[in-house]
Amino acid sequence: MSARPAPDDRLSAYLDGELDAAERETVDGYLAESSEWRAERDEVAFARDALRGLPVHEAPSGFWEEVLSPDLAKARSRRRSRLPRVATAATAAVAVAAVVIASLVIPSADRVTPRVPALSDSHAVRSSVSDEPVSQLATLSMITPFRK
Amino acid sequence: MAGGVPTWEEVARDHGRFLYNVAYRLAGNDSDAQDLVQEALLRVRKGLERYQPGSLEGWLARIVTNVFLDEVRRRRRRPADSFPEDPDWVIPPAPAADEVSTGFSDEVQAALAALPEEFRSAVVLCDVADLPYEQIAESLGVPVGTVRSRIHRGRRLLRNALVSTGETA
Repeated sequence: MSARPAPDDRLSAYLDGELDAAERETVDGYLAESSEWRAERDEVAFARDALRGLPVHEAPSGFWEEVLSPDLAKARSRRRSRLPRVATAATAAVAVAAVVIASLVIPSADRVTPRVPALSDSHAVRSSVSDEPVSQLATLSMITPFRK
Repeated sequence: MAGGVPTWEEVARDHGRFLYNVAYRLAGNDSDAQDLVQEALLRVRKGLERYQPGSLEGWLARIVTNVFLDEVRRRRRRPADSFPEDPDWVIPPAPAADEVSTGFSDEVQAALAALPEEFRSAVVLCDVADLPYEQIAESLGVPVGTVRSRIHRGRRLLRNALVSTGETA
């Protein structure tokens, strides 16, 4: 004779009439012999009865009129449009904040653009005291207009 | 009804109450239940041509459960979609002050809404929609043995929640 197992999911299937004859006979045997099996059967039956005893929950008034309106898809999209509207507003707010922060943190173009004429002057002075041929070319920048 | 296949309006009129009840027990609140029902009816409208006359309510329960599980997966991927006015699916709303309390039913609904979705779907299809295990298995895309296990575990969790609610009340 095999040892009796702990109560298991056969009990729910037993209550729901979902066991075949052999399994049902086995569970009947366990229930007859074991208070543990009977206790679990009663617990599961309590939950099952509680769920099956729930009243039918009715839709709010006006819901079915909306559903049965000529265009369900439009009514549906109106309901769903809540989410994209909020998401779009949030995205726009984040984008505006990012632009404001970037304008404060990133240095302006004036501050990072090298002042070319001044640098050229300085280089020309250095090249005038140097025999290095490439540096000699720097004097060209003094006559090359950088401004439009 | 032509050739045994109803129009979607007939489905909504004749089976809407059943559909809404299943949706409400899955979602746990009216706002989400309304969304589920509307989406389910859109799928019904698209799928009516393929409907094989049989258990219409079983078919509807399967559709609304799939809509529910799709929405659960979508919200898991995008948790930011939960808004304060759009309560999370697993948190049952407190009954409004002007609602007539149905006492034990409210406690059962709260315990049901707190179950993990896979257990909730199984027990709702079994104990609210009254589907046999085989149809539940088809609806959820899992073996019958898994359905049996989920129903049993779901009922045990529900029972424990109800007992602890009773002890703390």
